[in-house]
Formats: sequence, structure tokens, C-alpha cells
Amino acid sequence: MTLARRADNLGLGALAVSALCLVALGAGWFSGPLNAVVLLVLVCVLAGVVVLAVFGGPEARHLLAPYGLMKPGLLWMALFFLAPVWSLVRISLSTKESRFSVQYNFAWAWENYSRAFSDFGGQFQRAFLYSFIATILTIVIGYPIAYVIAFRGGRYKNLLLGLVVIPFFTSYLIRTIAWSTILADQGPIVSLLSTLGLVDVFEWLRIMDNGKLINTPAAVIGGLTYNFLPFMLLPIYVSLEKIDANLVNAANDLYSTPTAAFRKVVFPLSLPGVFAGTLLTFIPAAGDFVNAQFLGNPNTTMIGNSIQDQFLRQNNYPVASAMSAVLMVSITALVLLYSRLFGTEELV
Amino acid sequence: MNKPTNSGARRNPWTRREFLMRSGALGVAGLSLPALLAACGGGGGGNALVFDNWPLYIDPSEDGLVGSVERFAQASGVDLTYTESYNDNDEYFAKIQPLLGNDKRIDPDLIAPTFWMAGRLINLGWVDKLPLDKVPNKSNLEDNYVKPPWDPTGEYTMPWQAGTAGIAYNIDVTGRELKSTADLFDPAFKGKIGMLTEMRDTMGLILMSQGIDITTISTFEEAAAAFDVLEKAKADGQIRAFTGNDYIDDLVSGNYAACVGWSGDVLQLGKDSPNIRFVVPEEGGTLWADVMVMPKGTENTDAVAKWLDFVYDPVEAAQITTYVQYFSPVKGVQEEVAKLDPELAENPLVFPDAATASRLKSWANLSDDVDAQFADAFSAITGA
Repeated sequence: MTLARRADNLGLGALAVSALCLVALGAGWFSGPLNAVVLLVLVCVLAGVVVLAVFGGPEARHLLAPYGLMKPGLLWMALFFLAPVWSLVRISLSTKESRFSVQYNFAWAWENYSRAFSDFGGQFQRAFLYSFIATILTIVIGYPIAYVIAFRGGRYKNLLLGLVVIPFFTSYLIRTIAWSTILADQGPIVSLLSTLGLVDVFEWLRIMDNGKLINTPAAVIGGLTYNFLPFMLLPIYVSLEKIDANLVNAANDLYSTPTAAFRKVVFPLSLPGVFAGTLLTFIPAAGDFVNAQFLGNPNTTMIGNSIQDQFLRQNNYPVASAMSAVLMVSITALVLLYSRLFGTEELV
Repeated sequence: MNKPTNSGARRNPWTRREFLMRSGALGVAGLSLPALLAACGGGGGGNALVFDNWPLYIDPSEDGLVGSVERFAQASGVDLTYTESYNDNDEYFAKIQPLLGNDKRIDPDLIAPTFWMAGRLINLGWVDKLPLDKVPNKSNLEDNYVKPPWDPTGEYTMPWQAGTAGIAYNIDVTGRELKSTADLFDPAFKGKIGMLTEMRDTMGLILMSQGIDITTISTFEEAAAAFDVLEKAKADGQIRAFTGNDYIDDLVSGNYAACVGWSGDVLQLGKDSPNIRFVVPEEGGTLWADVMVMPKGTENTDAVAKWLDFVYDPVEAAQITTYVQYFSPVKGVQEEVAKLDPELAENPLVFPDAATASRLKSWANLSDDVDAQFADAFSAITGA
């Protein structure tokens, strides 16, 4: 059977066609009865592959297997990643018929992108600056804690990990709003600082501004750091926990000081955890709007706030989509750059 | 399409990429979630009624009193679902736009947008005429709301409550009584001033403090200087936050020295916290009304009529007024409130006397283009 001999090409073709069908369905390329046709094509292609696998003999099955195994993942991505991204990019290049219209006409409207940069440049900068600082802070705070739990935790390891995670069972929103009570102008922390006469020091450090702890850039960065700490701590803990204690003993046997043993053995082996933690922290933090909304002031808004405002208050889907697309592309670029510079091959 | 490879060493970049793509997919899913939420919910038929109103805007059942929702349900037998998810005009509009704009109906049979938003909904054809012929108590409607500027025929709207935006302040923080909108820009209160995201209230006060008449304003140029004032105050760090109804928490906790606030909210608050005060600025405060409209396609018009008739009965309306302390659009409420709470009936912030009324101004109807200019300029400053 010639068909069976070219089973790998058929498998690839079927994968591509079915992915395309799912994108078409998800992104709404067609309307009405045409969707049923697309669905029929999808079902036929998938059924065809199954038929080929069943009746094509062992060689055909062998050639088809890789594509069959890829299918669930790729089709999932086609429906839940490619189709939404397609819609996002399409709307970002569209114009509205009128101010309150819900119809978007595709028009290669690049001015949406120029508006995203010209009107919201400051928000982009702040988003990346704040999330960068917050990521550094989560490493500075999270690494020692993970280290202590992994190497000194003993039989309390699970208890200590639990203590790190349990506060995060509460809603994200509630925890963030709780900070605004704790840091309020007449709240406990500010009163304590003024009793101790530390307000001037904090003002000099730029943590406080005009006697306020909350509604400052420092509060926004602090909120991001707090909220994303477990996402840094847990991957670092996992990679530290896997390190064989004998490696450290070996370093000590070879007359390494504890500092050098940490620097040359433990730290390099924990880098995959740091890398994964950085991604898990930086990416959501850059798009976050909750912290800036509740802990910030009108001069500390991040790009997430602007996107939310354009989507949910101004009804300006084209500009909001353009901003989202720019955010996605710039985060991807930053992460690629980061992984080239510091990435390890053994990403956990 | 990437060809799958079997070598173990080269699989690692794949996992990373997959990971990134999934993060992206989650982000996109997050953005479309509100649309999904808005699409939820079915319709009710017959003797049911869903009223979506602003929070804390009706008398609850407490302290031995039976709230209006329960009283109405008992008196009429209508299955009333009273929800409080109307938090902000722009937000709510963005939520209902994809449905009403595509000729689908929304869950509530009755909503209470602010007058200018009601005007927009009427112009878009997204609301139905009220069943006024089945509302005998419509004769109790105050005269100035019978054919108001936002609803020239008077067929689409009946006010729920009206009120004024003025200055709310915490005297423990300010250390002095405030009188004027200019006090909001006093450098002594740097970083302790709140403004509302409701453009007409925040800008209305600033415009009036510049001597501009908001009842006749028709171009953006007239307001440009006022927007500059707000922009400068924001850049200087004078303004702590732009908020919706949640300004109340910051006012009570002392984070705000003063803010633009709504009369009834602050009066309700003042019952428990005497340090919270409200003043109509000497330059003038804005007068607004939240009006009940029926979104297009409502089926339960009989139940809507029963509800309107119920809340336009001065005896029932007085119960609501006593609790919410806003201006009632119902004739005869002041007399009924006098029976319940004589002191409240004399309060000029609930029943404006001539001196107070002369300082209250309501916004002109802005044309669509001008309204868009105002909204854009305002959102550029609020920064969100």
C-alpha cells in the first residue's frame, strides 16, 4: 500500500489540517453552517488517521506514532493558544465602527500599536521595572528560606514548607487588600515607625513618601514580592532538595571552605530552580494589575492596569489588544534573552 | 510544524517553550473571562423580577425593621432578586455592551445607571419604555424628573435616588472644617486627597471652582484648563487614588484627609463616625440622579410596574430615604420622613433648602464626540 508507506507525511498533514480546523473554529473564521463543515473535516481527518493506523500495518503505525503522540498537546494548543492569539492580533489591528459598536473591522490599523507605545510607554516601563525589582527581591528573600528548609529543615521540612504555602490559600485579592490595612497611615506599622523615629530614614530610603507607606512605588513592589514569593521559593527548594549532601562533603574533603562549597557546588546546582522561579515570578508580575491598583497611586500604574482599563472601562478592545500583544512579545523577548544569557540546559 | 525528535538531550528546550506558550494561553484566557461571566445567567419569566442596583442603596432588614425588598415581596408576591453588582457606570456598560449590542438580553429586568449613562442607553436603543400606564404612583414623581434632559419624552426612566457630589473629609486628619473645592488642592494635604473615577463628579467640582457653568458646557475646550489642574495635582502627588465607591474605607481609616464623595454615603457614615463630614463646596456641587431603566427585551414588565409603584409610594420611599439619606425623587417623602425621624427631615443635605439647592448644578448633555473627548482626557489622567 503506497498510502501506508507515506504514513509519516499523512500524519503530519493530518496534524496540520486538524490544528488549522481548530484555530478556525476557535477564532471564528467562518460563521453559521460553514463551522459545521469545518467540524466535519476535522472529524474526517482524525477518523482517517485512525483508520490508517488500524489497517495500515505495523510499519504505518510506527511512522504515525510520533504524530499521534503529539496530537493531544498540539491540538490543545491550537484551540487554546493559537486561536486566542489569532483573535487578539486581529482585533489589535482593527478599528471600531463607532464608539459603542461591538463590531471590529480588520483594517491593518497599526495606529493602535503606536498609541500603545505613545500613550502607555510609562506604564510599560514601570511594569518591567517593578516586576524586575520584585523578582530580585523574591530571590534575595526566597533563596535563604529555601536553603534553610532544604538543608536544615530535618524532620520539620514539610511543616516549614506548609507554613510558607498556607497563607496563600487565602484569596490573592484579600491578601493584597489586607496590606493596605496593615500599612495604612494610621495603622500599626506607620505608628511604630514614627514612635521609633525611623520615618526620616524610610523617607530617605524612598520606602516612605510624605509619611505614607501605602500608595507608594515601594508598596507596589512590596506587594508583588509578597504575592509571588512562593513561586520563587518552591522551585528553588525543589532543586536544592535534590542536591546530594555527599557532594558538599566531597567539596569539604577537598579543603573547600563552606563559602566556596556553596559558591562552586550548591549554587550552580540550584540554578535551574532560580531560573524557573524567575520565569514564574517575572511573567505574571509584569502583567499584574491588582497590586498597583490597591497599593499604588495614580503615578504608579502598570501596564496591566491600562489594559484592564481599556478593556473593561473604555471598551477600546483594539488598543487593549495591541497593548496585550506588545506585552506578550516583549516578555517573550526578555525571557529568550534571559535564557540565552543565564539559562541552564537542565530546566526543571 | 516541528518534527518530533526522540533524543532525550534535545527535549529540554521544548518543555521551556511549551511552558511559555501555556503561560500565554492562560493570560489570554484571563482576559476573556469577564466576557464569559457576563454571558452567564438565564432569564426569568412570569412573576419574577431581577433588579441590579448600586451597593448599599436600599434599606436592609436590620434592627427590627423589615427592609424594602422583603416588604415588597410580601405585599406583591413578586419573586424579587435584588443584586448589588452595579459598581461603576463605565464598568457596567462594558459588561452589558457585548450582549445588548448583539441583540441579546441581559439578566436584570431593571438597572439603575446614572442619568448620563441612561441617556446613552436610550440613544443606543438598548432600553425599553417603562410600563408607566400600570404605575398609578407615577403621579408622585417630582416635577423636574418628569421630562428630564436625558429622557426628553419621560418614557424610559424613573429616578431611583438623586444626590450630590461634594467634599467629604475626615476632620481628625484635616484639623479644620473645609468649605471649598480649592481645599482639595491645599499642599498641606499632599498625598491625602481622593478623587472619584466618576468623571462628571470629579471634573464637575473642579470646573465649578473655575467658574465654568456645567449646565451649559458643550465643548472640550471649555474644560481643558480644569483637566490641566487635575493633571498637575496628579503629577505633584497631591492625589492619592482615583476610586469608585471604595473611597469610604480610606476616608474612615484616615488615609484620606478629604475626597470627592457622594452625599448619602457620607451621611450614612456620619451616624457612626462623627469625624466624617460632608460639605457642598461654596463654588458648587454636582447634582445627579441614578435612574431605573428596563434593558431591552425584558419580559417581566408587570413585575417591574409593581416595583415602580411600590417605591413611588411616599410611605415606602420614606423608609428607603431614612436609610440611604439621598435626595428622594418622590413627592411627599419629606412629610413621611418627618414622622420617622424629624431631625433628618430638616437636614438640607437630604432635603435641600433654597440656599443649598442654588449651589447644585447638573451636567449638560454632552454630544457623543465631546463625551468621548472628556472620557479620553480623564482616563489619560487617572492613568489606569
